[in-house]
Amino acid sequence: MFEARLDSSVTLKKVLEAIKDLLNDASFDCSDTGIQLQAMDNSHVSLVSLTLKSDGFDKYRCDRNITMGMNLASMVKILKCANNDDTVTIKAQDDADTVTFMFESKKQDKISDYAMKLMNLDQEHLGIPDTDFSCVIRMPSIEFARICRDLAQFGESIGIACTKEGVKFSASGDIGSANVKIAQTSNFEKEEESVTIEMQEPVALTFACQYLNSFTKATPLSPQVQLSMSDNVPLVVEYTVPELGHIRYYLAPKIEEDEN
Amino acid sequence: MGILGLSKLVADIAPYAVKEGEIKNYFGRKIAIDASMCLYQFLIAVRSEGAQLTSVDGETTSHLMGTFYRTIRLIENGIKPVYVFDGKPPQMKSGELNKRKEKRDEAQKALDKATEAGDQADIDKFNRRLVKVTKQHAEDCKSLLTLMGVPFIEAPCEAEAQCAAMVKSGKVFGTATEDMDALTFGSSVLLRHMTFSEARKMPIQEFHLDKVLQGMDLTQKEFIDLCILLGCDYTDSIRGIGPKRAIDLIKQHKSIEEILKNIDTKKYVPPADWNFEGARQLFVEPEIMDPEKIDLKWSDPDEEGLVKYLCGDKQFNEERIRNGAKKLLKARGVTTQGRLDGFFTVLGTTPAKRKAENKKNTPNKRGKVGTGRGRGRAK
Repeated sequence: MFEARLDSSVTLKKVLEAIKDLLNDASFDCSDTGIQLQAMDNSHVSLVSLTLKSDGFDKYRCDRNITMGMNLASMVKILKCANNDDTVTIKAQDDADTVTFMFESKKQDKISDYAMKLMNLDQEHLGIPDTDFSCVIRMPSIEFARICRDLAQFGESIGIACTKEGVKFSASGDIGSANVKIAQTSNFEKEEESVTIEMQEPVALTFACQYLNSFTKATPLSPQVQLSMSDNVPLVVEYTVPELGHIRYYLAPKIEEDEN
Repeated sequence: MGILGLSKLVADIAPYAVKEGEIKNYFGRKIAIDASMCLYQFLIAVRSEGAQLTSVDGETTSHLMGTFYRTIRLIENGIKPVYVFDGKPPQMKSGELNKRKEKRDEAQKALDKATEAGDQADIDKFNRRLVKVTKQHAEDCKSLLTLMGVPFIEAPCEAEAQCAAMVKSGKVFGTATEDMDALTFGSSVLLRHMTFSEARKMPIQEFHLDKVLQGMDLTQKEFIDLCILLGCDYTDSIRGIGPKRAIDLIKQHKSIEEILKNIDTKKYVPPADWNFEGARQLFVEPEIMDPEKIDLKWSDPDEEGLVKYLCGDKQFNEERIRNGAKKLLKARGVTTQGRLDGFFTVLGTTPAKRKAENKKNTPNKRGKVGTGRGRGRAK
């Protein structure tokens, strides 16, 4: 028996919104420590890793580890049926082939049940090595989303260069070029508006706009975003999911064409 | 051509070994293409009003058309193709080659008949059967590839074997061919439908050798014997032993020698002078060039050269060729997107849940029982 309850469905909606662009289907691995999801997009360029810890749920029970393969578009359809302040409960029997979403209104006067068929999915588990990143940037998530959106108009890829002074985002294309520099600022009163850079050595990498813009769909989850970079390893973009855990996106950099 | 009925057998027994995907998912991959195979495809498929495209002198140019446009399509999708041409056919293939020649002769006769009768549909049909990839076709193609800046390799013997060796050594990601014997030669990844026309919207089929072996529960050695039993290009197989029986026999006896000792050779007559050992040897140790010594280099296309070569006598449209060359150049200019699988190691794949396997097995079992009964009645 698996059961997980959240007092408000809005977090779950936001989480789903954050992954549905990159993935069509995904397997949710449920165990007594929480819910995990790890999946690559079709073209194997980016990876989504979602962790929702059991103690962040308002009620959580998982007797046996189960993996639930879900079609995310269907899941979105179901969650659209819930009001933001509805309590949501996800339920599944051991060995079930359906999962049930139950929405209860705040006043307890309306209870709706939605059952969704589960899917059998092939899953590739990737071992992600722990990396000591050369640069770790923390900045307001809205700012990051804005930059990615703006620069996407100029070219297919965004260069991110991090030095002690700050971070430079750049793009160029047919119409011209664009550069955005962000300096380190600390704002003690409003911590979520500050930009911090922890740097061992400067890094400059290039990434595809398309993926970065999919990642920024997670912006509503958290006021801050963390970008971790090292030479020749994937970029990690991390958003915290308040109280529950985090969502991490990994993106393979673009490689300069060498002699071959 | 290839191994008889192997793809169907794989799909039945080890469905997880086959993945279908879009061509764009292969960006950044280096892929070895069995050139003879795709030249043959082009000669058959690239036609206008049933006839092959020709130059002013009546020389065929279908293969050039195919090679030009489909290679551009691969490169535009970020794939780095390497064409591998056949060398001399192995001694043991002469039987198969003779058979093919006989078939062509038959087709020629049928064609003559059809022409006499004036049956257009039949004329088309037999015309296609007459198609043969000649040395000249291959040479034309090589000249074209050089101008396009695409590398090619001349295998000392069978192209599939060379491709397989290159995949094994990690020089390329996979072998693109329609012939399943690339798997028998040990190519870890086989891609089908890679050089098909875009208009056909065929998904790319990706076969993984390790999963095939795992799914069939065979070693590579047993797998080779299985392929020989199914029917390969090098030797005949035993009459009356179909795919189902072949795999059961291999599982039970592990090798052809043991099978021969154990089956009723009166009922299942092995071919006279059956040289399955020779065929096996060809699969295990084919004559190949050391993949480590191969240097693959992609370079910029030579636009003027292409125009000179293809336009004029060969009657290609200059504007289209120039466009094609621009596409090639553009695809080279952009930085390539890296892939995550290069950075992270795959810890293992969990195939869809066990439950699914059970579900899939049941109809199979029913199928088995069904055929069993059918045979019983037939007797």
